[in-house]
This record gives sequence, structure tokens and C-alpha cells, in this order.
Amino acid sequence: MDFSIIKRIFRFKIAVQTVKENMKATIIFTLLFSCMAAMYSSFYPMFKDLLADMAEDPEFANFLVGFSGESGDFVSYVGFLNLELYSIFFVLILGIIVAFIAATIISKEIESKTIDLLMSNPVSRMQIIIERFIGLIPMILFINFITMFVVYGVTFAIGENIDFFNLFIAHLYAVPYFLAVIGIALLISTIIDEKMKSSIFMIAILVGMFFLEYISHFTSDYKNIGFLSLTHFYKPYNALKSGNVDANGVIVLLSVTIVSIVISIIYFDRKDIKV
Amino acid sequence: MTCEKCDFKGYYRFKTVEEIFEKSDFYSSEISNVLEVRNLRKSYKDVLAVNSISFNVKKGEIFGFLGPNGAGKTTTIRVLLGYLRPNAGEAFIFGKNIKDNIVDIRKNVGYIPGELALYEHLTGKQFLDYFSSLRNTDLPLLDNLLEIFELPLDKKIKTYSKGMKQKMGIIQAFMDDPDLVIMDEPTLGLDPLLQQKFYKFLREEKKKGRTMFFSSHILSEVDKICDRVAVIRDGDLVALESIENLKDKRGKKIRVKLVGEPKELTIMKNAKVVDGWIEFETEGDIDPLIKKISKYTVLDIEIQEFSLEDIFMRYYSGGEE
Repeated sequence: MDFSIIKRIFRFKIAVQTVKENMKATIIFTLLFSCMAAMYSSFYPMFKDLLADMAEDPEFANFLVGFSGESGDFVSYVGFLNLELYSIFFVLILGIIVAFIAATIISKEIESKTIDLLMSNPVSRMQIIIERFIGLIPMILFINFITMFVVYGVTFAIGENIDFFNLFIAHLYAVPYFLAVIGIALLISTIIDEKMKSSIFMIAILVGMFFLEYISHFTSDYKNIGFLSLTHFYKPYNALKSGNVDANGVIVLLSVTIVSIVISIIYFDRKDIKV
Repeated sequence: MTCEKCDFKGYYRFKTVEEIFEKSDFYSSEISNVLEVRNLRKSYKDVLAVNSISFNVKKGEIFGFLGPNGAGKTTTIRVLLGYLRPNAGEAFIFGKNIKDNIVDIRKNVGYIPGELALYEHLTGKQFLDYFSSLRNTDLPLLDNLLEIFELPLDKKIKTYSKGMKQKMGIIQAFMDDPDLVIMDEPTLGLDPLLQQKFYKFLREEKKKGRTMFFSSHILSEVDKICDRVAVIRDGDLVALESIENLKDKRGKKIRVKLVGEPKELTIMKNAKVVDGWIEFETEGDIDPLIKKISKYTVLDIEIQEFSLEDIFMRYYSGGEE
């Protein structure tokens, strides 16, 4: 069989370039999230008793449920990590950062007009989309798994207990979530030609989703609007606690990723690249 | 071998290497038009940018594409390279339809964009490395180009001057020895010295048989380097001529001051009287006119060549007959 065509299309040079371009950001955010993870995990012994008191107050407990998912556990170490580190810093803050970077990935080339020279090479439009997507994956893997090791190390240092396998599953489970974020951001990046506009639009979508999910916990009338949110499908608590993953959630997240990429390819393929 | 049905005996001969090669390389031997444009049309929303234009670019020529800003030059080029989708018509490069084979075609096409944008955060060397990896082929001309168009490759492109960036644009377009190079106003931003260097370079490339498509709004440079020229105005192709034909056409402006105003001369349709001077516009042979004038007493005479600019202006103002 002749693989030369496949080889030619998938030489991943644009992907490699994307990785290089984001190297600095990757290192900075890895350090930042490692520090955050270290800080929050090491705070646990101090907050342990305080949290236990606060959990007695039903109103406050109810307020936190919105962030921590349905578990309602934010007193145990795993519950604390889930609430402080994963539900807010991982899902929201890292989500926003990844969204911000990914949403510029095509729009910046169009805005700065470098797309002209890029496309004068024998590369197809589909190849540009796919390789740009692939080029962003190492960034999330790097930040995600380095943070995991930091959490594990600090847990050990403060004398708490966490199952490494469960921790690994929780971080592995974050990958489809970030892939879906990148997928949607990529789509927006192909549609909106100005990088600032596309980034802000994508962040608005992500924050909007986060609040949809949050609200859905309080109003039984709108219980189902949480399904519109990506964050609804990434719930690290069970993974941290027992290594269980919501398989349907993973399927939904991966489907969103694939559908976003396919629409991006179709849209970009028909798009007029104007001066 | 023998046919199972009719017992007919025959043999099968495999193709020779030459036969296979001839077929795969057919465009270079059989098709003399490197670029063929047929009724190409492109509009944006309600603005018609290119109105059904057709032309061919022959192998080995420098083809000038002349027009004022906003005439549709860049739009045409962007359609040819697959950045814009045409509303109608089609185009072929190396005999292949751009609609289905654009990635394949680009392997053999160099391009200098009109608004050149390089990856500013890369050094010159990093940029060339990136692009050579994308071309995925040898770069036989790179060293030679870097000798002609010197560049500080270790510095970041954002520190480059406009002329240096333009040089980089030229280098990347020619480095992998493409059969066709499309240039959109490539001399913009080059200083006069560098322009001369660039013209010389293009003439040498032409000698090597490279086909070049040269868009410009400056007539004198098209005059200097191109073999044929297409003039585009408001999306319409208003002229397509060889440079020689264009020069023949431009004719001369003859002004004479005579004793009296002989009717024989003033009633000629290409003549008019201005301030006591009789002015003639001629095309081609001027001998008959001079003979006629010589019958009278000539006080003064001025003979001027029509500049290409004059012709150009005639095309632009829609005044061509």
C-alpha cells in the first residue's frame, strides 16, 4: 500500500511549530499550576477543622455543592482537593487559559496575515486545522500531569493519603475535558478572524457554561441546563475517591471534540482567506 | 499468454522506464501554458472584484499583470493560489485544475504575497527551517539566494527592516526551485539599488526557463522585465499584449510650427491646433506625415514618444479604441 500521500499530509511540521510557539506558555502555566496545587494541598491541615465547622451550616454547604458537584463532600482531603483545586482552578482557570490560547490558534494567523505564506506551501487547509489541534495537546498533557505529580508529592509530605491510581484517573479524565475546550476554541478561531475577539468570545462561552452548570444545582426547574455545559461532564470527585469515571461524560466530551474539529475543517475549507 | 476463450496467443509488454516517465512528466513537454485562466470571476458580497477574465501564461515567460491599486490583481492571484473560491470560471496550473489539485500544485509554485507577513517571533534561520520542512524538498537555490540577498539570519524577523523582510519573501519563494513563481507587487519596499538587483535576478531566472507571474502597478518595471503584459482595470482585462506590441502601439506626438496654417494638415483627423502649433498623434510609420509637413516652411518642430504611461492612462481612463 502506498503511504506516501499519508506521509506527506501528516508530517506534523505545523504541529511541531505549534508546540514550539507555546513552549513558553506551557512552562509558565505548568509552574503556576504546580505552585497552586502545592499551596492548596498543603493548606489542608490548617483548614481541616474550619471546614468541618462550616459544613455544619447548611446554607454554606449548599453554596459549595454548586462548585463541588453533587458529592457534598468538602471536608475530607479528597473532597477538599476536588473543591479547591479541581473544580475551580482546573476546570475554570486552566480551562480559561487553554481556551484563550486555543482560540487564537487560527485567528492570529489570519489577523497577522502569516496565513498567506503558510498556505503557499503544499499544505491543505484540513492539515492546518488538524495539526494546529494536535500541536496544542502536549501543552495540556504537560500542565495536567506535572500538576498531578506535585499533588501526589505534597500529599505525601503533609502526611495525608491519596491513591495514586485514583489521582491518575482523575487527571486522565481531565484530558477529554481540555480536548473539548480546545476543540470548541479551535472552531471559534476559524470563524472569528481577530484573535482578541475570538479569545474573549471563547472565554465568555466557557464561563457561561460554568455558571449554567452551577445554577443547575440550585433550581430544579432548570436541572437540565447543566447538560449544555462541558463542566457538567467532568466531575473529578468520584475519580479521586474511588477511581470511577463517568463513561458517558467521557463519550460526550470526546464527541464534542470530534464534532468541533469536523465543523472547523468544513468551515475553514470553504472560507475565503481575504487580505 | 493465451486467451482462455479463443486460444488467441499474444504477449504483454511492460512499459519501459522512458514511457512511464514521459507520461508522468507530460505537462512540461506537451503543455506550453503553465497557467490558464478561463472566465474567472470573483465578487465579494455586492462588489465585483474580478469580472470573467481569461489569459494564459506560457512556459518560461515573465508575465506582467498590470493595474492600479484595487483593480483586482491581488484578488486574481488569491483565487489562483486557492485562498479565495471563484464564483465562476476555472484555472489550470501545470495543466491541473486548481479546484482539485491546489496542494499538489503549490509544491511547484513560489509566492511572494503583496502584504508580506512573516513570523516575526522567529529568527531568519528558524523561519527558513520551518518553511523548508513544510516544502519537504531540496532547496537547491537557497545558498545562491542568500548570497545575492544578504540577510542577518540569526536575528529575529521583527528586527528586520521592510527591505530585509521583502528579501526574505523573495528567498522563500525561489529557494526550492519552483517551476512557477507568482509575485504580487514584489518590489514594494525595496530600495532602488535592491530593485535593480532584483530585476537582474529575475532576468537570470528567466534564462533558466523559470515562469514568472509579476503583478505591479508600476509600468516602467513591467516594461523592463516582462515579455507580455495583461492590463487589468476595475476587474476587467483591458489589454493583453507583448511588450513590443505595446511599444509599437504607443506612437509619437509631433508638434510643428509652420508659416500659416495649411488646411491640408489641420483637417487631418489626428491633428489639432493649439496656440499656433499643430499637434499630431501618430502610430507606426511617421514618414508620410513628415513628407507632407516638409512642403511647408517649418519654424519649429518637436517630436515626442508616447510614454507607456500615456497608453496606460488611456487604458485606465477607458479611452482605448
